[in-house]
Amino acid sequence: MKKFAFGLYIVLTIAFMIWGYYMAIYGAPLDAAQGEVFRIIFYHVPSASVAFVFFAISLIGSIGYLSLRRGNPAFAQIADAWALAGAEVGVVFCTVVLITGPIWGRRAWGIWWTWDARLTTTLVLWLIYVSYLLLRRFAAGPQMQTLAAVLGIFGALDVPIVYMSNRWWRTQHPAPVFGGSEGSGMDPSMLPAFFWNMGAWFAWGILILALRYRVERQQQKFAAQEAQQALEATN
Amino acid sequence: MDEKAILDHQFVVAAYTVTWVIQLGYVAWLAWKWRAQKRTAVRANRTQR
Repeated sequence: MKKFAFGLYIVLTIAFMIWGYYMAIYGAPLDAAQGEVFRIIFYHVPSASVAFVFFAISLIGSIGYLSLRRGNPAFAQIADAWALAGAEVGVVFCTVVLITGPIWGRRAWGIWWTWDARLTTTLVLWLIYVSYLLLRRFAAGPQMQTLAAVLGIFGALDVPIVYMSNRWWRTQHPAPVFGGSEGSGMDPSMLPAFFWNMGAWFAWGILILALRYRVERQQQKFAAQEAQQALEATN
Repeated sequence: MDEKAILDHQFVVAAYTVTWVIQLGYVAWLAWKWRAQKRTAVRANRTQR
């Protein structure tokens, strides 16, 4: 039953992605100002939204790990696995944002990159979480998970700054399309394509987040088994 | 199609392609890691016996 549900979810997600692509390319009309290049928004913005949500999951996992590591180590390991999965999949989506953004910018503004608040804070966010992943990969010892959790919490503090950056400061990056000032928003004819892609990318993101979590839990079980065997060997 | 439309189209293709290369590349890496774990588990079971 579990396998069937998982298989069905994969099939639905793929169908969702194909429909999202169709809507982005053929369903949405051409943008009056930017033309076809505006279609990058259907991949760029959902990727940013998924990255933010997954960094929030990493934050919750990190807080959970720090608060449970002494009282309930088994649950702390689960929280730590969610923290890692959220951070890693978040970095994947953030990488997409940092590459599709400059491609769009080159066409729309004539430049690949500028050090404005939105772009810079997003790059800093990416660097923080890449350093989180490097710490987890190369640091050894019992303190590694604790240090990573602290870094994960500090990294998540940058998410609201990224979100608010083009509201607080004047930026080259356009003002927010949703939740911005009066007059902001998207033409209603483009909304179906936008929301289909938002849903599709979230479905895809949840799928790979679940896979990453499962792989990490398995890794934790192996590590625990190895530690147990080493203990038995010394006794 | 005029030159501007062709260029716009190329930029959209580049952005969508990069997105899928990154996403599918990551999934392939995850699948590889999962398979390696399964192999390790089989080997560990054999040595325990």
